Amino acid sequence: MLNVSGLTKRFGGFTALEAVDFTLLPGEVHALLGENGAGKSTLINAICGTFPPSEGNVQLDGRSLLDLSPLRVREVGVAPVFQEFSLAPALSVLDNLFLGREATRGPFLRRGEMRREAEALLSRIGFSLPLDEKVSRLSRAQKQMVEIAKALRLSPKILILDEPTASLTDGEAEKLFEAVARLKAQGVGILYVSHRMAEIRRLSDRVTVLRGGRLIATVHTADVTDAELIEMMVGRPVDELFPEIHNSPGAPALRVSDLSTATGSIRAASIEARKGEVIGLAGLVGCGRSELCRAIFGLEDISSGEVVLGETPVAKPRPDRMIAAGICYFPGDRAAEGLALNRPARENVSMAGLRLRKLSRGGLLRAGAEPEVVAGPLDKLGLRPMMPERRAGAFSGGNQQKVMLARGLVDDFDVYLFDEPTVGIDVGAKTDVYRFIKQLAESGACVIVSTSELPELLHLSDRIYVMAGGAVVQEIARDEASETAILSHYFGE
Amino acid sequence: MTDVMTRRSAPALADRLKPFSLPLGIVALLLVFALIEPRVISGANLRNIALQTSFLAIFAAAQCVVLLTRGFDLSLGVTVSLVSVGAGMAMTSAGVAAGLAAGCGIALAVGLFNGLLIGAIGINAFVATLGTSYVVMALASTLSGGFPVAPLPPAFNAIFAQGSLFGIRAAIWVALIVLLAIGLMLRFTTLGRRLYLVGASARAATAAGIRPAAVLIAAYAICGLLAGIGALLLTARTGSGEPNLGGNLTLESIAAAVVGGAKLTGGEGGISSALLGALFITVLSNGMNLVQVDGYIQQVFLGAIIVLSLILGRDGARR
Repeated sequence: MLNVSGLTKRFGGFTALEAVDFTLLPGEVHALLGENGAGKSTLINAICGTFPPSEGNVQLDGRSLLDLSPLRVREVGVAPVFQEFSLAPALSVLDNLFLGREATRGPFLRRGEMRREAEALLSRIGFSLPLDEKVSRLSRAQKQMVEIAKALRLSPKILILDEPTASLTDGEAEKLFEAVARLKAQGVGILYVSHRMAEIRRLSDRVTVLRGGRLIATVHTADVTDAELIEMMVGRPVDELFPEIHNSPGAPALRVSDLSTATGSIRAASIEARKGEVIGLAGLVGCGRSELCRAIFGLEDISSGEVVLGETPVAKPRPDRMIAAGICYFPGDRAAEGLALNRPARENVSMAGLRLRKLSRGGLLRAGAEPEVVAGPLDKLGLRPMMPERRAGAFSGGNQQKVMLARGLVDDFDVYLFDEPTVGIDVGAKTDVYRFIKQLAESGACVIVSTSELPELLHLSDRIYVMAGGAVVQEIARDEASETAILSHYFGE
Repeated sequence: MTDVMTRRSAPALADRLKPFSLPLGIVALLLVFALIEPRVISGANLRNIALQTSFLAIFAAAQCVVLLTRGFDLSLGVTVSLVSVGAGMAMTSAGVAAGLAAGCGIALAVGLFNGLLIGAIGINAFVATLGTSYVVMALASTLSGGFPVAPLPPAFNAIFAQGSLFGIRAAIWVALIVLLAIGLMLRFTTLGRRLYLVGASARAATAAGIRPAAVLIAAYAICGLLAGIGALLLTARTGSGEPNLGGNLTLESIAAAVVGGAKLTGGEGGISSALLGALFITVLSNGMNLVQVDGYIQQVFLGAIIVLSLILGRDGARR
């Protein structure tokens, strides 16, 4: 159905994609695997008509797509769903589904008809979404679903999903998988970009692996192992994704007792963490684990309860005070809260430590010393390319994450709070993040990781707190931890 | 996607020329006017341009500081009027030094008020400074009763308008010092860095322990103070405290900063935008005056140039 042959794309002197062949059959789920910068996005953009390739051809049912505008490509049946949301936050879900393609009679909108069509669409793909809610009030997962539903409205022949589960919980991802299966049964060809092995294995018929802009292989999913796929993707054998962490729990580092937030997102939550320990926070998106990290760091208003750092109670957490007191927080939403994207990587690394004597004296920046202060942490995390003066937004997701994490090494912190540390980053960068966590814990810091990735919880943490509905519902020790043990508490027992 | 698109081996020629396009444009503009009217590049007129530019550059610098934080100051013009009236009154009763102190104090107070509304209370810059401008305008009219405050001590005019050092007029010296100070502040102080970071992403800055409220208050206070310094220079020049001195300065100062390359989206740009933008607008107005373009038509050109510079200043490759 879709036939890409000899596709090459150069940007100036840089070849992003070189002689790549790719086919997609009706009713097939074809996974596209590769690290950031491997050429996945370039390939998708070339198919969607975002930019013309330098050489090669893209055909849909024998018809060339190359001379069509992105809009026309959509109309002939290619529906892309990108990672960045193209939704209007101030409008309702219903309005967004029909944005630019409203059903009208003369100058008037036919709202009733649009509502009926939207309901039919949602039931066809099995999503439940509040049609009248403003998009800005939805969770990331719900936004993702709106985005997918919008793409499916035109009954496409080809659906392109670019890391669709990056922000979804397992329950929500399950819904998405069901929708994918249903569409597949209807004969839609699905190009599925993901870093998650489990998904690729479960959903895809074939996998195409790209590396450095070249086609490494296209294989039937059933014929390869995960290890083989990862090796193809990163170009080196990955003995183990997760490092062995040698923890040695020491003195108490952080105690949270009966903490509640003003918004009610957390209810009387209590946790305890020691130095040299990795604590996992488990639960669905919205269960309160992100908010717990934020409240400890002072980004959510606390209505009652206590945060004790070491032996000292903190009266009213506030980010600048918590940083000074030795807590480092890495936000889950890298683009919105983690980085100043149009500032250089250097400034993003030093931004939490500007008050330190190695970076400033009496309000004067030590501009000469700054590049050196920043270079060590970036080097340790392996920023690629190592260009601290490049603006943070120009790096790939994994390297943006490294820029943010490098902050944690500029200063000496006792407690590190990670919220979704591996969202939207490739396997290579993930292993770097895990190694970073290992180093922190083994050097005696207390690490708290809030994540929706079960393997991370199981492989990294000494203890796991499961949260549901804003409360801590269960504490699980390492030797009792298993997927089922964790999942059984996701809905609050 | 972005990683691929920005990873080019060398920037295109157009990108490399971009920083020079405005200075070249200014020179070209001068030459075009000079062809029509040779007096444009006479020594006297060039000195006049330098003097005119220095006032506007100070006001544009004020806007640059708040533009960096994704804001702007709509009360700048009326602040100039209020400072002129207030400083004039203080000066007539208590002398030049008291007048200068009063002027700077008033300007700083207006700036702090804006900063508190925007930083501490969280009102957006448009509404906050618009509101402030009404209050300040009313104060300026009430204080002066609508009439100029005159006569001011002759020393004031003699030093700050007629005075010169090494053949360079006082206003130009002040402008140079102000621009240099702000430039150094942006580049070499933690406050400068925080201005950029808060402008680029207030949420990211917060999560990194920077308090946007404090940074915004500082930004508007500096903006106010600079407006006050400019107002004192203008007052020295007119020789009286004028309740309408601010006139079009709000829009002109924003226009100069934006034409110079300051971004309304914050977090980017520097003090050079204030100088270049002010110079460009001054050369354009001055040239059009000398070649006798009709006053209303001049406004059309100015407006068109501002819009054009915004379009040209957009970064096509970035998203």
